Amino acid sequence: MVKRFCIVMGVILSLMVMVSCAKKTVKEEPLGTGKAEEKAWGKPGEEAERARIEEKSLEASLERKKYAGIEGVFLESSLLKDIHFGFDRYDLTPDARKTLSQNAELLLKHPRAKIQIEGHCDERGTIEYNLALGERRAHSTKGYLISLGVSPDNISTISYGEEMPLDPRHNEGAWSKNRRAHFIILSK
Amino acid sequence: MHLRRISLLACLLWTFITAESGWTRVYIDIEQPELQPLPIAIAQFEDRGRSQPNLGREIMKILTNDLTISGFFEIIPRSEFPEESNAIADPPDYESWSPSRAEALVTGGYYSREGQFAIEFRLFDLVDKTFLGGKSYKASIKGLRNIIHRVANEITYLITGEKGIFDTKIAFVSTMTGNKEVYTIDFDGHNLRQITNNGSINLSPAWSPDGRIIAFTSYIKRNPDLYLFDLTRSAQVRLSTNPGLNAAPAWSPDGTKMALMMRKEGNAEIFIINRDGTNPKRLTKSWSSEASPTWSPDGRKIAFVSDRAGSPQIYTMDRGGKNMKRLTFSGPYNASPSWSLKGDRIAYCGRMDGRFEIFTISPDGMWIRRLTEYSGNNESPTWSPDSRFMAFSSTRGGRSHIYVMNANGANQRRLTSTRGNESSPSWSPRMDR
Repeated sequence: MVKRFCIVMGVILSLMVMVSCAKKTVKEEPLGTGKAEEKAWGKPGEEAERARIEEKSLEASLERKKYAGIEGVFLESSLLKDIHFGFDRYDLTPDARKTLSQNAELLLKHPRAKIQIEGHCDERGTIEYNLALGERRAHSTKGYLISLGVSPDNISTISYGEEMPLDPRHNEGAWSKNRRAHFIILSK
Repeated sequence: MHLRRISLLACLLWTFITAESGWTRVYIDIEQPELQPLPIAIAQFEDRGRSQPNLGREIMKILTNDLTISGFFEIIPRSEFPEESNAIADPPDYESWSPSRAEALVTGGYYSREGQFAIEFRLFDLVDKTFLGGKSYKASIKGLRNIIHRVANEITYLITGEKGIFDTKIAFVSTMTGNKEVYTIDFDGHNLRQITNNGSINLSPAWSPDGRIIAFTSYIKRNPDLYLFDLTRSAQVRLSTNPGLNAAPAWSPDGTKMALMMRKEGNAEIFIINRDGTNPKRLTKSWSSEASPTWSPDGRKIAFVSDRAGSPQIYTMDRGGKNMKRLTFSGPYNASPSWSLKGDRIAYCGRMDGRFEIFTISPDGMWIRRLTEYSGNNESPTWSPDSRFMAFSSTRGGRSHIYVMNANGANQRRLTSTRGNESSPSWSPRMDR
């Protein structure tokens, strides 16, 4: 009994040491890079001002929206950009990753914002398989945002399949616009 | 309720039975890829009361249309009838028909008074010079179309050995109001009825085997949930609300369960739920997308779409999710399987030269047959309850509409003619039971 207690205590102690070490290294990092420190800590007024401007620009970018026949209103921001996919693909292109990094940057600054990622498809292929494909697109998009630090609790996904084309025409130009993941803000 | 009431009201009285019990002549072998329609003469039905004018013409119109669009019959025009007055007597003067191409003759009479309607028909074989059979029906005048469809069902039975499906309906999705709503329409393109009217996105209607309920998916509550619409009560319930997906419902043949697509771990998988939405059971476990389940008529197998091999293809499995088997290997995109109610074919749509066409394949993956070769995309095949017809959607005319064809691909005709785009047909079971 005593032995087991000792082992448990030992594990806890070593964990505590590890945690404090980890904290230390995190703290040490900015010290090592002088410039970064200056930016992060040097001029708090400027930083706050920038945050205020950003907050303002997010506010300014928001638009209240509602989909016909679907319950609830939501917000859309022109700063959260759509990403696009290849035909019958749900993997993220380099362009899509770039856009997602920018989207993630914005979302990390607004950690209370709950977003929904909509997976959309072009009109080709069956309605039902496109529901599954839209699901995959939304899911892979969500996965990448999480890898960039966005909290999974803040992201829900929905597939609209081919039901909500941005461009109703029947050509490659329209199809490539319609194969997308779109972001809406459910609450902030 | 409407249909049920009619079936209660309609007193089906056998006035005649087939003349020869050992009758085995096959007039039309509907299994043949090249179907030779049977030339049939339909005499003007005799008014045996003082019915409304035009009733006789209406009866004739409905009946000839049914028999024509089935593709099994060639209607002999009146101008080719013999001049002898007893040519359409009971029994007919067979000799007078000998120069004619007609091989069968329908005669009959009707009676209508105070909202009631009665009709009787007789069918004669002009080649063998025999009486084949007949029936009489009585119903409310409101059920006129339905009763004439049953006459056509019976004539088809006497000629082909299996009842027709002229009183069945097809559910589908249309954008005629601007958004996707569910509708039903009769086999002959009449009686368009709007089922949903919620302004939302409504998808994949599926008719229950007892004909009373249409299951469908709707986005009303910002989630593709599964709903049931009770046709007899015109009432709707929300059944399955799993976050992410509740789509492409397919009723088990006994009507106790539904297979459907649900989200699990970020992708669509095939599940089975009870008719009341309880007890979801997962059948597929994969990193790929699974879609569009359809049951074999014995309820033991399910065909579905999976892209586990890199592109959407048709697979089958046991209803427990075991013994998965890939069915389609040719073509970059095969989807939307529909198992025939006879069980011997699975229809699906496949991409070929950049367009979707309808194909059938046997459940063991053999004998692929292509049924459409028109312009536009042909998708979403659904079988008639006798497995002799298929409905599907096609963009061959520009917009997407519902079309019907014989199971061998012959006799393709457009069923819907609305301003909208139509998709996802689901054929009702037999109502005449």
